[in-house]
Amino acid sequence: MKGLFKSKPRTPADIVRQTRNLLICVDRSSSSSSELRDSKREEKMTELSKNLREMKSILYGNSESEPVAEACAQLTQEFFRENTLRLLIFCLPKLNLEARKDATQVVANLQRQQVNSRLIASEYLEKNTDLLDVLVAGYDDTDMALHYGAMLRECIRHQTVARCVLESDHMKKFFDYIQLPNFDIAADAAATFKELLTRHKSTVAEFLSKNYDWFFAEYNSKLLESTNYITRRQAVKLLGDILLDRSNSVVMTRYVSSRDNLRILMNLLRETSKSIQIEAFHVFKLFAANQNKPPDIVSILVANRSKLLRLFADFKTEKEDEQFEADKAQVVKEIAALEPRDHP
Amino acid sequence: MMKLADQETKRIQYPLDSNSYKILDEIGVGVSAVVYKAICIPMNSTVVAIKAIDLDQSRADFDNVRREIKTMSLLSHPNILEAHCSFTVDRRLWVVMPFMSGGSLQSIISSSFPDGLSEPCIAIVLKEILNALSYLHRQGHLHRDIKAGNILIDSNGHVKLADFGVSASIYESTTGQGSGSSSCSSRLMLTDVAGTPYWMAPEVIHSHTGYSFKADIWSFGITALELAHGCPPLSHLPPSKSLLMKITKRFRFSDYEKHKKDKSKKFSKAFKDMVASCLDQDPAKRPSAEKLLKHSFFKNCKGSEYLVKHVLQGLPSVEERFREGKVLYGTTKTACGNNEEDDETMEVNIVKVRRISGWNFNEEGFELDPIFPTEIKDDSVMKKVRFGGETFIQAKKPECSQSSDSGESSHSSPARLGENEEEIARACKGSDNTQFGENYNVNLVVGGLVNLQKSLDVQKQNVNKIIEMFGGEVKTEERLMQVIENLNTELMNERQKNFELEMELQFLKLLMSGASSEAKVAD
Repeated sequence: MKGLFKSKPRTPADIVRQTRNLLICVDRSSSSSSELRDSKREEKMTELSKNLREMKSILYGNSESEPVAEACAQLTQEFFRENTLRLLIFCLPKLNLEARKDATQVVANLQRQQVNSRLIASEYLEKNTDLLDVLVAGYDDTDMALHYGAMLRECIRHQTVARCVLESDHMKKFFDYIQLPNFDIAADAAATFKELLTRHKSTVAEFLSKNYDWFFAEYNSKLLESTNYITRRQAVKLLGDILLDRSNSVVMTRYVSSRDNLRILMNLLRETSKSIQIEAFHVFKLFAANQNKPPDIVSILVANRSKLLRLFADFKTEKEDEQFEADKAQVVKEIAALEPRDHP
Repeated sequence: MMKLADQETKRIQYPLDSNSYKILDEIGVGVSAVVYKAICIPMNSTVVAIKAIDLDQSRADFDNVRREIKTMSLLSHPNILEAHCSFTVDRRLWVVMPFMSGGSLQSIISSSFPDGLSEPCIAIVLKEILNALSYLHRQGHLHRDIKAGNILIDSNGHVKLADFGVSASIYESTTGQGSGSSSCSSRLMLTDVAGTPYWMAPEVIHSHTGYSFKADIWSFGITALELAHGCPPLSHLPPSKSLLMKITKRFRFSDYEKHKKDKSKKFSKAFKDMVASCLDQDPAKRPSAEKLLKHSFFKNCKGSEYLVKHVLQGLPSVEERFREGKVLYGTTKTACGNNEEDDETMEVNIVKVRRISGWNFNEEGFELDPIFPTEIKDDSVMKKVRFGGETFIQAKKPECSQSSDSGESSHSSPARLGENEEEIARACKGSDNTQFGENYNVNLVVGGLVNLQKSLDVQKQNVNKIIEMFGGEVKTEERLMQVIENLNTELMNERQKNFELEMELQFLKLLMSGASSEAKVAD
């Protein structure tokens, strides 16, 4: 008898289906605003929030239980069988803060779920790259930036998705996003930018080779020469990470052969900020260590030799750092030994 | 739910430039940050608090600052201190927050209630904090630094939990920052050491086993004692990690009562029962925040007006308390709890273990040094990996002079190096770091470890003595205290040695693992 009154427990797929239906309602209700009365709408919203929370606890588990692989797989499969992700991304601004956070965590987790050893989230995104446009544009919207930004960062875990973003025009926008006045948003954009440029080595190398000219022109002028301290500091650090990565050796060689680049780095070496100086040194040392320095690089280094040597003489990290000292010694030796190749 | 939705409809956007604010007074200072009282001119001169973090001086992991700000932006609860906005002003990060005119409960207690607050007041404060905790935990967040110093009160008696500098999300901990571990084996547990020693739960100190929300409940229990007595238990001892490790094992509410007997304070059964349940050694047996709210201690809890009348009235202002504190204790701060930024400057590059210091209790004349865990965290391992390539100049010099052209070849060697480290990192990831050891001079490290062990043994003996003495007679307490003090001095010395060794060890590890340039780490 009891069974009659007890509704059947919903399967993960049921929850996804119901969520999708609710999202469709919410999505439509805005276009024809009178269709749903306010109270009704609130009810749907509450229901939707509840479903998102349930999905989250299926995917992450909760304090009582670990996630069950089978349930996660079911949920993921149903989620990507239709356009749930699209609906969720589009409806996100209409959800309340807590539901947005749950949704973001659900989407983040789904990127890592495998069904029959396939990453179906990646496959879905490859076919729906316009969603990435929405996510990137999120940085323009103060209220949505952190949510869309977090989703985006999870999506670019997939190499193909990262390539899409790298090859899109969006890359140019990041130079502005990371200098937005809102620190939390700017920092989020910077984290995404860094992820794009460091995570998938071969894709990054390919991107940098193909886009060398505009990319580093922007990088130098907008970031390394920015008036914003934190932008310069992050940029010079990231530059070091990029150039010191073996997969980017071609790009590095090209970068350290340019006198303009050298000049910028030497200016950064002169900054009053210790952190920037140190980071700049890690890039500068590449110019000095290059065994095939172009003549104009050599002549700049020779012309500034005494200044550089004086700078390095009391150039120290706060903490003792033998590696740094060794690098410095090497650079000093390198510079001291330079002979101008082209006599005027 | 509906209420929430209404409430949060658009946060008011505060101006993002420093010219819109006028700084009135300094109300808190730490090593890398200053807290000001200020007004926001375009917003009807609303009073705000501005925490100015020196990003250049703070060698803190920049990611930690970012995480803290993000956490604050994404939380919305009446009992949690929110950030109105944050933006950079040259090398400083300004975090604009509501001004909590009462300051922190720690500063209130130390200025006006040295023997603690009355029970009705404690109940109000704790109840509000439980509301905040229950919200945080539902969100998957651990605060990890619950203490009176992080509980702020405004002029209306509203209580807010502040300082998310070491908070963590169980969801994000598995997301990891690109550690590449797609393992979804989320046990929803954390394993890094974070917090302030006196308030830290035993399972956090022994963090290898993992801990979760119940660690906040422990700290909450300690905070309850702090509010009741004016200081946390055992605060007369230096916050040495090993010390805590031993003592927390045996620590019971009744012991504390015995020790504090002289103060002749009487507490209700409900209060004792509530605190005792929070301080259960077994995290599983501690009640959740949700459940604690239903505890009889919180029945008939008075409203915030009661706090205004019994705590705030006649209290010196935050500014006054801050100035007074400055005179009394030199540069160390006492007032304005929300921001004690001793943290980020902790020079050691171990991630998230920054805030381990006991500044609150400097009035007792102890020098409170930070404690550094010996384990290397995943994060730092990954970090080292990333910088592997920097051996560039050194490692590959000979090669590149031979292989002359194209400079490109100059990368082959560091490349291999980097690969190696990645492998090692992979091996170490998620499990014990001992495997890392294969990579560096074993003799050196073993030598260091042996020394460490010796000093630990001495400490252990001392601690045992102290514990014995606590169990001893009350009559001789005076004399025993003297002995304890002597032992303390000894302990401090040992600890100093220990610390130096640990630093050396860390340094060696860094060196040996080929990770160059700590300057990088400093970012």
